[in-house]
Amino acid sequence: MKVKDFYIRDITAVLEDETVTRVLKILSRQEVTGVPVINEDYKVVGFISENDIIRAALPSYFALLQSASFIPDLNQFVRNLKKLSSKPVSEIMTKPAITIKETTPLLHAADLMIRHSLKILPVVDEEEKLIGVITRMRILEAVSGEEKTAK
Amino acid sequence: MPILTVCMNPALDREFYINDFTIDKLHRLTIENSRMTPGGKAINVAVDLAAFGIKSVVTGFIGGYLGDVVLTELRETSELITTNFVHIEEEIRENIAIIDEKNHTLTEINSSGPTIPLEDLQHFLRRYKLIVPTVRVVVLSGSLPIGIPNSIYGELTKLAKKYNKAVFWEAKDEIITESLKISVPFVLKPDFRREKKLFGEDLKTEQDYIDAGKEIIRYGVKMAVLSYKIDYDIVVTNDGVWFVKPLVGVEHAHLLGTGDTYMAAMIYKYLETNDLVEIAKYGYAAALAKTWYKRKIPPTFEDIEKAMEKFKIERVE
Repeated sequence: MKVKDFYIRDITAVLEDETVTRVLKILSRQEVTGVPVINEDYKVVGFISENDIIRAALPSYFALLQSASFIPDLNQFVRNLKKLSSKPVSEIMTKPAITIKETTPLLHAADLMIRHSLKILPVVDEEEKLIGVITRMRILEAVSGEEKTAK
Repeated sequence: MPILTVCMNPALDREFYINDFTIDKLHRLTIENSRMTPGGKAINVAVDLAAFGIKSVVTGFIGGYLGDVVLTELRETSELITTNFVHIEEEIRENIAIIDEKNHTLTEINSSGPTIPLEDLQHFLRRYKLIVPTVRVVVLSGSLPIGIPNSIYGELTKLAKKYNKAVFWEAKDEIITESLKISVPFVLKPDFRREKKLFGEDLKTEQDYIDAGKEIIRYGVKMAVLSYKIDYDIVVTNDGVWFVKPLVGVEHAHLLGTGDTYMAAMIYKYLETNDLVEIAKYGYAAALAKTWYKRKIPPTFEDIEKAMEKFKIERVE
């Protein structure tokens, strides 16, 4: 099983200089957890997810605690998120993005997702240009074999 | 290189097959007599191109529950279609077609669609500029949602021509009139379904259509394809005027989507030849073949070849 037979041929992406507000709009309107970040040549240069945005809005010690119960209230989070909303994507995106190709075995894609706890992986062509994405759900469907078995 | 098809106003197409359809009466539908497919002219073009084995990227605005259905269905249609829509808050429109094969009628009800905020238009334009250099041909086809100016086809064409891309249009009069002032396409097919009008003038006689076609050519368009009396076509280029007439009866109940098949087939032929009349002939044959099917599905190459024998083309000027 290869990525080619299961990925979603949708090339929705954001540019590095676009704002976090725009990313939030895309995520909520398309009901996705993250989008690839591209440059002017449509090459994937990073990835931005809800996780990246939440992490950037939380106080830095949060990562160490791994729990929200130590945070006295949400005010700081809300304040930080407001400040963050006008910032460019490049400041908080994860880079470089982990990408896969059409020829990548599905198992390898699944392994990458588990190891890096990712929900979406961008699929790129030989020139690193975005040609689609694969989601965890697609892989689960493929593996369970109930839907979308190689067309 | 794929084809870029721009669908500014996608729709969920619903086909209802009802014999003896009349108003003021209850009609019951079975599952096989009701169909839901992705619609909007440029989306139909992409679906037909995929049937011809050609890759396309579809862009435009999409949103709401109906938008989700269209997107899901479109992704199921073919691996040759890549989607790149700008998602909006509002719901896209629904096109209802009631097909009565017994009385040979086609009744259509199309809603107008959402309003596009300026912010989303700018978002679209930035992506359009990035994608245009990577495609072979740009297709601008169909109506516009509220908030998008009628001059948009001209603006998008101007951008595409910077990269020497061939642009094909199918649109109604208001868009043609405003957009031609800015930039002109390679091939223009006016959409006369709602109003037989061009440059604000009503078209009645055969001569009116020929004159309108010539006016389009004067703007610098290489070929104008005008449908006259539904199944007759008038083709105008710099070299002359041609009349295309079917030699067989055309089923009017099966006309849904024929204009889009015409467009897709012209692009298919354009990738092979620069002979404009050959391009128009192939488009006509494909559209004619499409009317042999009940459903809105693309014609096979075999049927297009058969259709090539079922019409005549004559030079009138």
